[in-house]
Amino acid sequence: MSFIPGQPVTAVVQRIEILKLREGDNLILGFSIGGGIDQDPAQNPFSEDKTDKGIYVTRVSKGGPADVAGLMMGDKIMQVNGWDMTMVTHDQARKRLTKKSEDVVRLLVTRKSLQDAVRQSMMPR
Amino acid sequence: HRDCDKLNLFYSAPNLEDQNSVAAPESLLPYGEREWKGNTSKSRLIKKGYEAVAQRSYESLRRVRGDNYCALRATLFQILSQSEKLPAWLQDTDMSQSELDLLKQWRFPVDHKNEGGAVEQLECCLKRLRKRWQEAVQCASPEEKEHICQQVFVGQNEEYELLEALKFLMLRTAVQLHSDMEKGSQVPEFCWLLFARDTSKCPRSFFTNHLRHVGFSGGLEQVEMFLLGYSLQQTIQVYRLYKTDTEEFITYYPDDHKKNWPYLNLITEDDRHYNVLVSKQLSSKFSKSVRPIWKIPSGGHTQERHITQL
Repeated sequence: MSFIPGQPVTAVVQRIEILKLREGDNLILGFSIGGGIDQDPAQNPFSEDKTDKGIYVTRVSKGGPADVAGLMMGDKIMQVNGWDMTMVTHDQARKRLTKKSEDVVRLLVTRKSLQDAVRQSMMPR
Repeated sequence: HRDCDKLNLFYSAPNLEDQNSVAAPESLLPYGEREWKGNTSKSRLIKKGYEAVAQRSYESLRRVRGDNYCALRATLFQILSQSEKLPAWLQDTDMSQSELDLLKQWRFPVDHKNEGGAVEQLECCLKRLRKRWQEAVQCASPEEKEHICQQVFVGQNEEYELLEALKFLMLRTAVQLHSDMEKGSQVPEFCWLLFARDTSKCPRSFFTNHLRHVGFSGGLEQVEMFLLGYSLQQTIQVYRLYKTDTEEFITYYPDDHKKNWPYLNLITEDDRHYNVLVSKQLSSKFSKSVRPIWKIPSGGHTQERHITQL
């Protein structure tokens, strides 16, 4: 994350365990991803650093497995079941999340804690 | 892929006056009227079929060159002109040992000595398919996709290489499905039919007696259409006009993945010759999806990528 002097950015690390939902032949996670090293990071609305080519959560289906597990829109996915997700292509990310042999994905995410950032920026200097 | 070009696999189509293998769109109803002028019960049935299709938001058809490749050709055309996503399996171009054994007998549509290069040639074909499919998927508009189709469907080497690649994919899938059957795993119903025929009890005989001849002396049987759809992970939706007024009027190859495999639309009067079916929404102005799009800048030419829903 980029560092802007005078404005500390706090990030919260979360462990999210998603139990995939079986729908017929498919295993549903209930969220969408954007980003990847093969994508243009400038368009990412969620990243602090506009050169950040990481994988971000762009949407969480209400009531779906990811929602239930506590994943939030804007979360940056750092790892999936131990696999690094900070230097992968969009398609590699998709594959790591949708392995048919895995019913559960354990994500390590970072989440910009807006409240902390606002609070800190309002503290007297 | 310069090596592939050097191999110079196939010669160009001798019929130069009709260079396009897939014609421009023609309206369904006038087409039906022209082709079936008589008043026999058959021509009434077929024309009724065209009317029924026209009523379902299909505006036109595109005639496909009428040789034994036409089912494959029509399917390939629809893939390049409509596919939005590359199937994951397309990344795997390695060949298994059992495939390699079968491939030595592969026939290519040209009269030259293979010199044992069948495997090499097929690998090239598969790579070309992947490259073109990827190009097509990354197009920003239907016009760009059409441009690619105009480049491919001119009866030259590339078109036939791509068609042979489709046949190879069918073989690969047949080998996989047969192996699953032997293990007792669940397989789609059509597999039982595919391998129940005396002439194709196993992938080897299926290849020798059927698949090898597709494009030359035979087209695709219905059960092989299922295999084709399955191999590509697409739902090939075919309007079969001689089956108008029956429940087989629309047949899905295959019918068990309608929810998750993209649709490709074809039309046939007789299950022998297939044409491409064009829906109204494609004929009209392209309306951009409302999903957010992250563009990749690459040397001045931007491409679109969607966000992936999981």
